[in-house]
Amino acid sequence: MSHLGDLLSALVDGELSGTELDRANAHVAACGACRVEANALRRLKHELRALAEVHDADGMTSRLLAMTSESCAEGAAGLARLTDLADLAYPVGPTSARDLGRVRGRSTPSRRLIGRRRGRYVLWTTLSLVAVGIGTAAFGMGGNSGSTGPQITPQLEVFDNQHAITSGDVPFVEPADVSTRVPAVAATP
Amino acid sequence: MRHGLLLTAVATVTIPGVLAMMAVMGHEHAQADESIAAAALSAVPLTGPFPIAPATARTAVRNNVAAAQGASGAPATVLSRVTASQQVMGMRLLDKAANAGLSTSYQGTELISQSDVGGNVKMISQVWHQGGGPTLVETSSGTTSATQQTTAVASSDPASASPEGVFGVTKSLMALLNKHYVAVYLGNGTAVGRPAAVIDLYSFGGVLVARYWLDKQTLVPLRRELFDTSNNVISEDTFVQVQFGTLAIPQLAGTAAGTNASAGALAITSKSQAQPQSPAQPAWVTMPKPATFRTSLTGQGWPVPGSLPGNLPLYAAASTTTTSGKVADLEYSDGLYVVSLFVQRGSLTPDMTGWRRETLDGQQAFVSGHSVTWSEPGFVYTMIADAPAQTVAQVVGAVSPGGPPGVLGRLGRGFVRIAHVIDPFN
Repeated sequence: MSHLGDLLSALVDGELSGTELDRANAHVAACGACRVEANALRRLKHELRALAEVHDADGMTSRLLAMTSESCAEGAAGLARLTDLADLAYPVGPTSARDLGRVRGRSTPSRRLIGRRRGRYVLWTTLSLVAVGIGTAAFGMGGNSGSTGPQITPQLEVFDNQHAITSGDVPFVEPADVSTRVPAVAATP
Repeated sequence: MRHGLLLTAVATVTIPGVLAMMAVMGHEHAQADESIAAAALSAVPLTGPFPIAPATARTAVRNNVAAAQGASGAPATVLSRVTASQQVMGMRLLDKAANAGLSTSYQGTELISQSDVGGNVKMISQVWHQGGGPTLVETSSGTTSATQQTTAVASSDPASASPEGVFGVTKSLMALLNKHYVAVYLGNGTAVGRPAAVIDLYSFGGVLVARYWLDKQTLVPLRRELFDTSNNVISEDTFVQVQFGTLAIPQLAGTAAGTNASAGALAITSKSQAQPQSPAQPAWVTMPKPATFRTSLTGQGWPVPGSLPGNLPLYAAASTTTTSGKVADLEYSDGLYVVSLFVQRGSLTPDMTGWRRETLDGQQAFVSGHSVTWSEPGFVYTMIADAPAQTVAQVVGAVSPGGPPGVLGRLGRGFVRIAHVIDPFN
């Protein structure tokens, strides 16, 4: 037994009439699979219609669409994200079960757009993480040096001599100098 | 009309001739510069204050000499013709004095008197200098220190790059002096019973800050006085006795190699020697690019400033390794005042015998003579300064960060350290 195929979408959309309608109804009555799919399509169509009414009511859809200067498809993609129905990339207004079936079946330009946007998200997230990482490392490394090091007694005999050389004056003798001064070893010029 | 033509003809012949003679004389008698005294020093002494603007200068310029000179960076633009020539002469004489301090042999007794954070400090030094060779200094403290001691150290130019001179008149410091002050040749005077050329040093604001007496015969500095803003002498370096000419370096105790010298021992080094004099006198490695060296230290977490209060820029740097680790020497000067800042990792020992605890600009520090030391987290600073007490206190306050760096400061320091890790040679 062959199933209804596209006729099922047309049946749900109310587009069949006459003998086509009778034949489709008879098949759905006899075929469990088609009946299940028809019910699923009707439920989905109902939910989408309800969503469309909500968004129309508070005007969010129109505002979002107005904000973007992109194509209608891009606007619909944004709406699809909002409604957690990313696979449904068509405008919410005249919901068509045929269109739904077509969207499910193959990749569209809208899907590629979504892919690109996801790539951007990944890129920005990665860059943000790197920036935060470097900042954290800089903050960590910018702290005071851990150990206080050795205990120092300033070697004034060394410093006084160096100061005398650079300042072009005679070395000073400090009160604290004598206790630490070590006799210098003489050298001939 | 005839007179005019005659005058023009005479001038046409005479002026080039005189100029040519001057050029030849100047070329052949470069040595005669040493006796600048003869012609130039007999100039008529002028009265201050200097620098002054020419009478023809616009009022706005005349009344704003300091700003004009400060902006130009060169102090010659608004001086009168007479003062300008004296200024040229003053700086020229000081430059020559820096060379004379190296090339002339002399021996004498110097009296050094300073007012600084340690109070009034006086020292007496016996100095022997062989022209183009070593300098031998034996220093003893004067009358105002708590203890009297005699000791001796060497003053030399071990790396052939370090300045050496008399009373702070060195080549590198004179180059800095020319950027920050106006030197004006004042006229003749005497010092240590010798004829001297007197040079006054003014700030760009026209305030007298120092006076030099240069020996007229040799141009070696005989005396230097530093003044505060009220014209009080805050530092006086002078020979009380001096002899010029070829002299034999005295053979004093400790000069023979291997002698177990006492506190009065001497050390001699020559310009060609770079080796350490003893374990306590390590060799300093002079940094050719002080700013780069400072950046490198900062990258390693050493908090060292690029300049100090009192308009003292970093002009020289060196490093050495002592028993307590690496020591960085950062030299700041405007040509007149010199501040040596020694920085090393560690903390001050609890036993600070010989030091006096003081609070300088809100920072706890220890003072001994004209040395000041204090501790920051992880680092010890020791400053030896030939500078007014006020400047010294400001330096202590400025170098001490006074608390944790804050988030931005810490981030900045961290980035510098990361950059240093990535490129340790920059």
